[in-house]
Amino acid sequence: MTSINLVRSEFRKLTTTRMPLAFLAVLTVLAALNGVAVAVGTDMDGSKTFISTAADQQSLMAFAANALMIAGLFGAIAAARQFGHNTVISTYLSEPRRSRAVSAQFIAIGLGGAILGLIGTSLTVAAVAASLPFTTHGFMVSASDVTRIIGAASLAGASGAILGAGIGTVVRNTGGAVTGTVVVLVIAPPVIVQLANGAAPWIPNAIANVTSGVADGTSVPGAVVGLALWALVPALIALWTVQRQDVV
Amino acid sequence: MTTLSPTYPLLIEGVTKRYGRRTVLDSLTFTVEPGRITGFLGPNGSGKSTTMKILLDLASADHGTATIGGHRYRDLPHPAGTVGVVLEPNAFHPGRSGRNHLRIIAQATGLPIDRVDEALATVGLDSEAARRRVGTYSLGMKQRLSLAAALLDDPPVLVLDEPTNGLDPQGIRDLRGLLRDRAARGHTVLISSHLLSEVQHVVDDVVVINEGQLVTAGPIEDLTGSSAQVRTPCSVRLADLLAGAGATVEQTQTDTIVVTGLNLEQIGDAAHTAGIAIHELSPHAGSLEDVFFTLTTATTEKGTQS
Repeated sequence: MTSINLVRSEFRKLTTTRMPLAFLAVLTVLAALNGVAVAVGTDMDGSKTFISTAADQQSLMAFAANALMIAGLFGAIAAARQFGHNTVISTYLSEPRRSRAVSAQFIAIGLGGAILGLIGTSLTVAAVAASLPFTTHGFMVSASDVTRIIGAASLAGASGAILGAGIGTVVRNTGGAVTGTVVVLVIAPPVIVQLANGAAPWIPNAIANVTSGVADGTSVPGAVVGLALWALVPALIALWTVQRQDVV
Repeated sequence: MTTLSPTYPLLIEGVTKRYGRRTVLDSLTFTVEPGRITGFLGPNGSGKSTTMKILLDLASADHGTATIGGHRYRDLPHPAGTVGVVLEPNAFHPGRSGRNHLRIIAQATGLPIDRVDEALATVGLDSEAARRRVGTYSLGMKQRLSLAAALLDDPPVLVLDEPTNGLDPQGIRDLRGLLRDRAARGHTVLISSHLLSEVQHVVDDVVVINEGQLVTAGPIEDLTGSSAQVRTPCSVRLADLLAGAGATVEQTQTDTIVVTGLNLEQIGDAAHTAGIAIHELSPHAGSLEDVFFTLTTATTEKGTQS
């Protein structure tokens, strides 16, 4: 069997349940909320300065940080439920070299996360663009910047999904995996910054925003590497763990 | 020139497995021969499933080896195409259709997708059932789906944990036929079951374990068929005659005796020489269940005393 067969099989796993539909529904709701905010929302002073410049609009549409979180949950659930439903047995029987099996799974989940990021940010851009005519401001973000925020959200989606999948594979329990992902992406970063202020530019949300072009805490290549590392560390721990754990 | 298909004996050799301080398998050794159906018996918690998981590289042994045709499962050139497996009765995503469950396995192992419908037909799951989500299946349907997954690549080895669980009588009969056919083709078949009466009707060999240790292994007739039943109008006279020849004789009815220690030919010849009419002379198949409980109880008591 080839690795591409394994990846395709893992991708089929993701697309043959209702889970992706649930995540698409969440993305649609988030995009709709953005659209409503643009159409009827105001700043504290009643003005619409939050959409008055291209930078403001780009910041509003930058979806990478959201993609990181949403895809993180997607990856955590996708990986952990294999153990809950015991479908990991057929996975390991099909490919007993577990590092290959789990790598294929992470690639498929990462791809799924990238697609969620792409869809999420595209829906958000579309919702904002559709709502702006209800205001006095036009759509000011350039095509290249739109492309950048879509690309950044896709990258962040892939990174978050692999991060979540790594946690899910180690924890092997859906509830625990979701909790672990929230801890890593939401609760731990502020604590880390409190302990080491110099880490602030490297927390997931900060580097996601750098890739979207709405923050400049670090360089773009540095942010891309940072996103990759946030995904790779739990993934590598998971690959190490699955070699040693029995399927019980 | 005829090319012989490779055969795959299963060899469990000195396998020990511990979970913490608890020893689940203790130097377990036995062989499963190709061309025969081997029943793997033992009370709940005796270590049957753990043994199967070690054989399939789903769990690691602390000591010893478990091989299939001389290779560990992970070292087989095409593991999923060599060994068909039924392990957990509920190893499915409940929201996925039966057909998609099989398609995922077929795709992972590089099989053509149309093998899925063939496997479904083999186990008697129709296309309507195949389209339905597995969460709506009965236990018997799930068991059939597990079997379909095991048979996807027509493997020469089958390792089945409680395969009759939840099957209706027709399903059990079909399974029995399928296993017989496989064994006749030289395939290796290992099945565990707690339904001893079902095992008795289908297996050639048995391996009995208790508390992680081997109790006995060998042909089923050695366990259950070591005596003969004789029906004769001269039962007392024949009993005396056979006892004099060294047999152990038990009078079960006025015209029936059970003889242990002589084979059918020896009994028949002795009766003929003595001019005793025989109305029935047949192997006396003691219940496997009786043998099983006798053996496992004996080892449990031995373990408790030591």
